[in-house]
Amino acid sequence: MALPLQAGLTPMEVAFLCEMEMVTVVPRQRLESLNLLSGPTPILRPPHRAPIPLWLALLLKRQRRANILPPPWLLSSSLERILKYETETSPLAFSPPPPHPHPVTSRSSPTDFVSPPFLPSSTADAPPDYLPYHWLELGEIFLEAASDDVPEQDRVRGLLRDLREVRMSKMRGSIKGLEGEGGGVSKMTGVGAMEVAEGRGYIVGVLDGLRRLGSSREVARREREAEEGGEGSEDEEMGFE
Amino acid sequence: MATTTQVRLRGRPAHTRGPTFLSYTPDGTKLITVGSNNTTRVYKTGFDGEPTNIDDCPEQNTGVASTDDFFLVGSEDGNVSKFSLETMAFDKYITRCSLPIRDVTLSLDGKWCAVSSDELVVKIIRMNDTSSVMFLREQPKPVKHLSFDPSGKHIALSCTDGLVYVYSLINDEPELVRKIDGLIRTLETEDEISSKVVWHPDGRAFAAPTATRDIQVMSRGDWENQRTFTNGHNGDITALAWSPNGAMLASAAKDWKVLLWETKTQKVIATYDYADVMDISWHPTKNLLSFTNTEGWVYIYNDFVPEEHSHLLKLPLQPAPFIHDPLSEISANARRPITNGLKDIPNRGARRGTPDSLDDILGSDIMGDEDDFVVDDDGAGYASGLNANGKRPNGAVDPYVGSVNKRRTQAWEPQIHDSFQPGSTPWRGNRKYLCLNLIGFVWTVDQDTHNTITVEFYDHEFHRDFHFTDTFLYDKACLNENGTLFSCPPNDDTPATIFYRPHETWTARADWRTQLPKGEEVTAMSLSDSFITVTTSAQYVRIYTLFGIPYRVYRQKSSPTVTCASWRDYVLTLGNGPVGADGNTKLLYTIQNIKRDEICQSEDVVALPEGETIKSVFFSDNGDPCIYDSTGTLLTLLHWRTPSQATWVPLLDTKLLSRLASGKKQETYFPVAVADNKFHCIILKGTDQYPYFPRPLLSEFDFQIPLSSKPKADSGDDAEAEAENESDELGKFESDFVLKSVLTAQQQDLVDFTKSSHSQRTALARMEVEIDKTLLQMMAVECREGEERGMRALEMVTLLRDSTGRMIEAAGKVAERYGRNVLGEKIREVGEMRLSAMEED
Repeated sequence: MALPLQAGLTPMEVAFLCEMEMVTVVPRQRLESLNLLSGPTPILRPPHRAPIPLWLALLLKRQRRANILPPPWLLSSSLERILKYETETSPLAFSPPPPHPHPVTSRSSPTDFVSPPFLPSSTADAPPDYLPYHWLELGEIFLEAASDDVPEQDRVRGLLRDLREVRMSKMRGSIKGLEGEGGGVSKMTGVGAMEVAEGRGYIVGVLDGLRRLGSSREVARREREAEEGGEGSEDEEMGFE
Repeated sequence: MATTTQVRLRGRPAHTRGPTFLSYTPDGTKLITVGSNNTTRVYKTGFDGEPTNIDDCPEQNTGVASTDDFFLVGSEDGNVSKFSLETMAFDKYITRCSLPIRDVTLSLDGKWCAVSSDELVVKIIRMNDTSSVMFLREQPKPVKHLSFDPSGKHIALSCTDGLVYVYSLINDEPELVRKIDGLIRTLETEDEISSKVVWHPDGRAFAAPTATRDIQVMSRGDWENQRTFTNGHNGDITALAWSPNGAMLASAAKDWKVLLWETKTQKVIATYDYADVMDISWHPTKNLLSFTNTEGWVYIYNDFVPEEHSHLLKLPLQPAPFIHDPLSEISANARRPITNGLKDIPNRGARRGTPDSLDDILGSDIMGDEDDFVVDDDGAGYASGLNANGKRPNGAVDPYVGSVNKRRTQAWEPQIHDSFQPGSTPWRGNRKYLCLNLIGFVWTVDQDTHNTITVEFYDHEFHRDFHFTDTFLYDKACLNENGTLFSCPPNDDTPATIFYRPHETWTARADWRTQLPKGEEVTAMSLSDSFITVTTSAQYVRIYTLFGIPYRVYRQKSSPTVTCASWRDYVLTLGNGPVGADGNTKLLYTIQNIKRDEICQSEDVVALPEGETIKSVFFSDNGDPCIYDSTGTLLTLLHWRTPSQATWVPLLDTKLLSRLASGKKQETYFPVAVADNKFHCIILKGTDQYPYFPRPLLSEFDFQIPLSSKPKADSGDDAEAEAENESDELGKFESDFVLKSVLTAQQQDLVDFTKSSHSQRTALARMEVEIDKTLLQMMAVECREGEERGMRALEMVTLLRDSTGRMIEAAGKVAERYGRNVLGEKIREVGEMRLSAMEED
C-alpha cells in the first residue's frame, strides 16, 4: 500500500536535511569530542570556534552552551547585495550558487560530487554574496532559534522575505518558458532546496494541465505524422515526463 | 563656591519685545544685536554712548553672525542678508528660503555660512561665491541650531526631532558622521529653550543642554559622554557659551539665572539673576560678556568673571573636560601617532605664554603675530554665543600639536617607544579593557570616586565571573587560568600596589597584595603559570612567585622599559635600545628562563620596519614569542632557545588577507592571541584603534606567510580562470610548505629543549611527514603541468626530509603515473645517492 504522499520532499523533510549543514559555533562550555555516525565532532573549547552540524549547534544553543555564528551571506549587507543582483543585475535568472569549495579540474576527483549539505557553505568561512542550496531553511532556523546571534535580525528577516518573494515570482515566471512547443526547459541553477520543494507541486500541476490541454493537438499531430511516415515522434513522447 | 553678585546692571533697551540675538565680531571691537524690530544695532566696545543703528533691515530677526568686515542676519521672512561693517549698510542677500530662517552661523575662518530654516535642508554657503552651496539633507525635521566646530571641518545640527546630526565637511560632499541620540531634547523651532551644541574651543568636545537641565559634554573622537555640568539650573537652559579659552562656561536658563561654570571642576563659580536671557556672547579677549533677553534688552556686562576667578580668562587654551583626557592621560597605552615625515619632529605640546611678554604688555587686541598660537587662541576670539565665529589664522592646526616650523628649530630628540600593557585598551568615555585574552576579559568602569572591575570568562563552566568595587583604581590587569593580577599606579601617599587573586583556593584567603617602593610605577606586567613579572619605571624587573614571594629582582639592560610577557618559566622583556637610523629607538628584547636562570636571548633586536611600532607581545599557546606590529604583521620568533640564533618569521600579514582584497573594506585588527596555529583577533571597522563595548566577537585567521599577494577575484575568461586555478593550487601548496617548515622547526625546538612528552614527539614526526606530503603534492602538480617542469619537480624531491626512502619511492611512482620517465630515472638516482650516503654515515 502506497502512502498518500506526493512525489518529492515535504518542507519538513527539507528542513531536516538542512540540519546536516555544518555551522560554526563559539562554545561557552567545554565539550569533549562526540563520536557520531558522521564522524567525531571537534573538541569544543571556549572561545575557539568549531564547525559542528546544525542540529547539534541548535541543541547546544538551546542549552545556552554555545553561540552560533551566522554565515557571512546571512548578514544584511550581503543579503542586500544578493537582492540587488536578483532585482537589478539579473531580473530574470536566479543569483548563482556559491562556488564549489574544491576546485573542479579536468581530472575527476571524489570531491567533485560532494553536494549540500556536505559542503561547508554555511560556516563562518563560507563566501558571502551567494545563496547556498539550503538558504531559506537555514535562514529561517537561524532567525527562530538563534536570533540573538544574528546582527540586525529584523532587517535580515525582511531581506529574506524580499528574496523569497523575488525568487518565487521568478519561479512562477519561469513556467511561461515551459509552455509551448519546443520549449519546456528552464534553468534552475541557484534554486534552493526549499524552493524546489515548494515549487514542485505547482510546476508539476501546471505541466500536467499543459499536457492535458496539448494532448488532443498531440494526437492529431501524431496521426498526421503517422500518415507522413511516422518520424520523430519518439522525442515528443519524452517531452514532459 | 557659588557667589551671587548683587550689583544690578542696567540693560539697554535695544529692540522691541521678542527674541533678540547678538554677536561679537572676532576682533572684539563691535557687538551686533538684532531683534524683532527692523533696526540692527552695532555697539562699539568700550564706548558707552548710543550704538550705530542700521535701519533698512527686515523685522523678526532670528539669527546673527559676524566677521570683522561684515555680518549676516537671518529673519523670519526667509532672507539671509549681508551687511557691511565698513559702510554700516545693507550689502546683499546671501540666500533665500521659503520658510523662516532659524539659525545663521559662520565658520571660524569666515569662509562658510550655514543657514537653517523651517525647511528640512540646511544650506552651507561659500561666502565669496554664494552660488556654491552644500546641502545637508539627512535630518527628517527642521533644524533649530547650527554650530561649526573650531576647525570648520564639522558642523553639528540640533534637529527638532531630538537628535544631533554631525556632518563632516572635509570633502566636497558633506557626509553624515554621526547621529547622536539621547543628548538633547525634542523642541520646536520657535521655542526659547535651547538645544544648541556648543563646541569647546579645543575642538575635541562639545557641550549641549540636556532634558534634565544639565549640560553634557561629549567628545568628538569616540562620541562618548564626558563630564557633566550638573545641579546648576532649575529651569530649561536657554543659552550656552564657552569662554574664548574654554576655561569657563556661561549658561542661562528659564529659572532667571545666568551661571558661570569652571570647566575643570564643573562647579558654579558665579551666579547672576537675569530673566529670560536668550543669547550669550563672550568678548573674545576682555572680561566682558554680553547677553540679550526676550524683552529686547541688551546687557553688556563688564568684569563678568569675578575678581578672584579672572585669572582663568588669562589662561591659554584649556582642554575640554574629559573623564580621561587622552592627551593628559599618562596611560600605558598612550601611543604616539605613526611617525611619518614631519610628524617625526618631537612634539613637546603646547607652548606656554612667557610671563610679561610683549604680547601681554600690548594687550591681545592686536592680532599681529600669526605664529604665536597663544595669541591666536586668545586674540582670534572664540565668540561662542549664538554665532561661533571669528578668525584664527591657524585654524586647521591642532592647538596641541603646535606649528611644525617652530619645532624644527628645537634640538632633536629621539623617539622612544612608549610602554604598554599587552591586550589592554586606553580609556574611552569611562570604560576601558584592562585585559583581553582567550581566557576571558577584564574591564573597568570609572565611577568618579572608585572603579568597578568585572572579570568575565569565556568558559562559564570552569570559572565563575566576578565583579568588585575597586578603590585602588587599578589600571593594569593580567588574566590566566589560575588567577587575575592587578596593579594600580602610585597615589599621593600610597605606593604602587600589585594585587593577585587566584581563581581557586583551598585556604580561606589566598589573594595577596604587595607594594612597590615609593615613587616606582608599574609600566607593564605579565602573569604565567608559575611567575608574576612586573617591569617598573625604575627599570627593575621584579619577579614574584604566584603567591607573592619575591623571587628575583634585576635591572633591565635596555631602558626605558616597554613591556613584558611570560610563559611558564620564560620571561620576555622589551626595552628601548639605542637610536636607529630612522630616529626611533631600536626595541631590544631579552628572553630568560627564570627557574633555570638561563638567558636564552640577550638584548636582541626586535625586527621592525622603519618607523613602525609594536602593538602587542605575547606567547603563543605552544610557548613561542609572537609580536604584532603597526603594519599589521604577526611575527614569531624561531630558534629562540639557542642564544643568537633567533630570527623573526612573519606568520600572517593582515593587509594581504583575502577579505580585504576587494579594497572596499577598511579594517584593522586588535591582536588577542595565537593558539591552535591561528591568529585570534578582534576586527576593528573603519578608523577604530581599540575594541569597545559591547565586546566584539573574536575572529580567527589561519596563518599565511606573505609570499605573494592574492590576485583579485577572477573575471570572465574561463581559460584564464583555469590557469589561475592551477597557479593558485601550486601557490597554496607552496605557502603550506613554508608554513609547515616554520611550525615544524618550532616543534623541533620544543622537543629538543624541553622534557618532551611522547605525544609531542609523535606530533613532530607527523608534521615532518606532512611536509613531505605537501612536497609530493606539489611535485604531482608539476608533473601534470608537463615535461618541461621536470627540474623543478626533481628539486622538490631533493627537499624531501624522509630518510627511509619511502617518500622518494612514492615520488618515483608519481612521476611514473604521469609518464615522466626521465624524471623517474633521476628520482631513482637521488634515492640511491641518499641511501648510500646514509650507509656511509
